[in-house]
Amino acid sequence: MANSVASPATDGASTRSSREADGQRKLLARSRGRFRDSPAALLLLVPVLILFGIAVVFPLIDTIRLSFFDIKGLGKPKFVGIGNYIKLFTDPAFRNTMWTTLVFTVSTTFFSVGLGWALAMLCAFAPRQTLPFRVMIFAAFGISEAVAGYMWIGILRPDSGGLLNAVIGLFSPGFAQPWLGDPRTAIWALVATATWGAVGLPLMLCFAAVQQIPKSLFEAAYLDGASHWQVMRNIMVPLSMSGVRVAVFINLLGMLRAFDIIYILTGGGPVRSTETVGYFMYRESMTQFKLGYGAAATVILLVAVLIVSVPAIIQRTAGAR
Amino acid sequence: MIGRVPRWPTVIVGIVAVIWVIPIIGIVATSIRPLAETSRGWWRIDEFTLTLSAWQRVWEAYPLAPALGTTAFLAAVATLGTMLLTPAAAYAFHFLKFPFRRLLLIIIINAFVLPQQVVVIPLFQLWREMGLIDNFLAVLIPYVGLSFAWSIYLVKTFLEDFPPELVEAARIDGAGPLQTFWFVVLPNTLNSVFAVGILQFLWTWNALLLPMLYLRTNVPLPVILARINGTYELNWDLQSVAAIVTTIVPLVIFLVFQRQFASGSQARTGAKE
Repeated sequence: MANSVASPATDGASTRSSREADGQRKLLARSRGRFRDSPAALLLLVPVLILFGIAVVFPLIDTIRLSFFDIKGLGKPKFVGIGNYIKLFTDPAFRNTMWTTLVFTVSTTFFSVGLGWALAMLCAFAPRQTLPFRVMIFAAFGISEAVAGYMWIGILRPDSGGLLNAVIGLFSPGFAQPWLGDPRTAIWALVATATWGAVGLPLMLCFAAVQQIPKSLFEAAYLDGASHWQVMRNIMVPLSMSGVRVAVFINLLGMLRAFDIIYILTGGGPVRSTETVGYFMYRESMTQFKLGYGAAATVILLVAVLIVSVPAIIQRTAGAR
Repeated sequence: MIGRVPRWPTVIVGIVAVIWVIPIIGIVATSIRPLAETSRGWWRIDEFTLTLSAWQRVWEAYPLAPALGTTAFLAAVATLGTMLLTPAAAYAFHFLKFPFRRLLLIIIINAFVLPQQVVVIPLFQLWREMGLIDNFLAVLIPYVGLSFAWSIYLVKTFLEDFPPELVEAARIDGAGPLQTFWFVVLPNTLNSVFAVGILQFLWTWNALLLPMLYLRTNVPLPVILARINGTYELNWDLQSVAAIVTTIVPLVIFLVFQRQFASGSQARTGAKE
């Protein structure tokens, strides 16, 4: 600002070159311009900044702060430094939770993107005929996690009234596996349910990527005598990878955050075998009232989410103009 | 695709699609057949009767009607809030100059990575101190506040294709930044604002975690469904009706606007091809 205030005086001095004066004037205009819109911007942004501050900035900082305290219910918080984190990593339940999170997140992403991608490749051969089928599969994505969980409870019922047991019962009569009651199968029941809902998006994204491939490319390939298999392997597979990347990221992020589907389907059980970090923090803080401990688990979840999101954050930050 | 369309890909996709809708058919069938017939499996047709008895009894058995009202109210207010505030902020970030503009923008559009678990503990304590537990504001504030992380990005990305000449022309004609927003930019962003509204509506209608923690007396449908589900009563017919009531509105909206949803959830999670 000091520069621009001085500039009118130097403008008059004939010893200064006109080029420099011009530069000074531009600087003046720019520095005025920087604040020119401030009142209007403030007016438009104030409600957004207040709500964003309460709902995002404050909770983020406060969660990190609370993770250094031992808080039991309404008792007085006691500063424990990294005590909560040390406790987390020596807690067998939390170590099991991290393993469950890894298995659930990676397998659900793998199965949903793999299946969605494969279906998109098949749909690309007959886009019009498969439209109703794509809508049917995509519909599962439109059903909330809570309701999806409820629907699958019916399928996974432990008696022969559960569809899965009934279907297996066709081949081995009397088969009755308590899918949700057995720690070995409960996690896979959860993966299956989450995959059911999560296939729609990869399908749509990969299908859109394939649809963007110019038709002339296919025509040229077929004219040269390429088989369907060759067209798929050499054109559709490599050119659909943009959709796969986006879908992998979205589903990884979604599964790390999962809560509703676990709450409804298994409630974290049996014997805490289906608790992910996102569910563990809820259980510790909201049912056991160990707020500081829950906050520390939330910070671990946050770190996992940030690691997965690094490429997206770089891309968004670079693109922010 | 060119000339010779093979039949088998369509057949495979069709089989998968049929398998995919079985869970949906299951709860519909359970809801319209007597419990006695479906208790050993809703697909059994040795006896087959259609009845709307569950659909009639459910309103007595569970507080579904008030929950439906609560859900619709919360989703409507949160959606309107986001739809009103987002375009103003996106316009300010895209066309106006003010200090810390880029820093604020980077913070807001990157907040999309945050899981909702982050707000759980701090807001629980804050609402308890302020006496806002069981007040609709306790969920409406985070609903709207969290939405900006993706909604502003979505509308601002849309504005990047907006001709800046129009804004400059308005400025030269003497319109201030607010007038330019109201008369020139806003009318042309309605498409993207509408897409934001649909996403926000679906998200708030389906929300379970925050209302379950912050509301007590008037709770939305997903919370009711979770409570019913936790009781272990063997009334699959009533529960299925409750599940259908919970999901039918967002599902229909989702299917009608599925295009916007596919591109929108991409913006929401940050990835752009």
